[in-house]
Amino acid sequence: MNPGITYSEPELVALLRQRTDQSFSYLYENYSAALLGVVGAIVSDQETARDVLQEVFVNIWRRIESYDPAKGRLFTWMLNIARNAAIDKIRSRGYQDSLKNKAIPDNNDSINGELGVMPRVDDVGLRKVLSTLKEDHRVLIELSYFQGYTQDEISRQLDIPLGTVKTRIRSALTHLRTLIK
Amino acid sequence: MNVQAYILSGIVESYVLGLASAEEQAEFEHMASRHPEVLQARLAFEIALEQQSKTHAILPPESLREEIRLRLFPAGQSGAITTQPATIKDLGDSHSAPVRRMNFWKYVAAASVVLLIGSVIWNITMITTTRDLGNEIKNRDLRITAIKQELDTTIKNLALVTNRPDLRMAVMKGLEIAPTAFATVYWDTTSHDVYLAAQNLPVPASDKQYQLWAIFKGKPVDLGVFDLKQDKLLIRAKNAQGAEAFAITLEKKGGSSQPKGAMYVMGKL
Repeated sequence: MNPGITYSEPELVALLRQRTDQSFSYLYENYSAALLGVVGAIVSDQETARDVLQEVFVNIWRRIESYDPAKGRLFTWMLNIARNAAIDKIRSRGYQDSLKNKAIPDNNDSINGELGVMPRVDDVGLRKVLSTLKEDHRVLIELSYFQGYTQDEISRQLDIPLGTVKTRIRSALTHLRTLIK
Repeated sequence: MNVQAYILSGIVESYVLGLASAEEQAEFEHMASRHPEVLQARLAFEIALEQQSKTHAILPPESLREEIRLRLFPAGQSGAITTQPATIKDLGDSHSAPVRRMNFWKYVAAASVVLLIGSVIWNITMITTTRDLGNEIKNRDLRITAIKQELDTTIKNLALVTNRPDLRMAVMKGLEIAPTAFATVYWDTTSHDVYLAAQNLPVPASDKQYQLWAIFKGKPVDLGVFDLKQDKLLIRAKNAQGAEAFAITLEKKGGSSQPKGAMYVMGKL
């Protein structure tokens, strides 16, 4: 272990592509907690979240060739892998079977009340930031970012015009930016 | 298209968080390749997002690292060892075929020679494997001890922050003198403890020290000097409740009663 070494992103990507044990250790030490935070904001059950984190590492390991630095930073790429894996999990049959209500929640109260989908809601990661958004904006970010619904699906389910969904999500996102800086 | 309006439209966040449609993505990539300020906005949001994610990290249990390692590096080395006894066994079985007595003893002799050679090879393999395994175990032990130490410090540091529902934080961002610098102040609204995480300050000259200040009604109050140490993520500072802002200046060693040196980072609450 070399606790003192810090790799730049291009260095780390090159190492990961060689799939060395060292690159795994570095990846794990520097990113596992942050990625588990991302997963934990979507998957409430800790045990399940850890399973998802395993999938995330397997995916990073397998798909590192497809990472394109021109499109974003390595962390962003990993964050999106983590988010997608978490959403895949909460939408999987096994997970869904444990939930009574499969319908998309139609108001904010039911989102918070949806056991299993929405855990310790407001204290994890982006969710914490989310809790400061306006009600109608918050629902849209919740559904699109944390539950992975497309804007089309949201528009149909909530009976809000697609244009409005789009504008609200955009405006909520600009608000998010000012909050996380 | 007005580039500034485009940047502020929410497309940057949409793209980075993976919420943009395929056309929006293509358009964004095109804009980013043509306008450096679009790219700059993307990078800035990405960095903020990473810092934010690290602040809200959840430490996985210690066992998970090895579980994942096993999935990424499946053990494939034992194969060579197990094939040898199997070959010998196959040979041994073949003498049960009906053969004449003379041939039977020849067979036994031949088989025992094969067995002997097999056994020699087996022994050599085993000795080498045992030695390699011994070395590997030693190396692993060393590594495990190192990891444990690291983990212990990290867990201790993390526990200071994570086990407290009343903890609040303020990020201090780098000023002109060190734009990439930043530091975070955590304070507990019930116990009044203050901690400083100075993640990214330049190394000071040996006769200087950084000093943390809390600003009350526009007046700086000394929260103490500190040294930058890699192994110490969080530094305990003097209590300060109700401050409007925090700042770090570089002062002569031992600190000053009033800030005199350059201000490196500053954050308002």
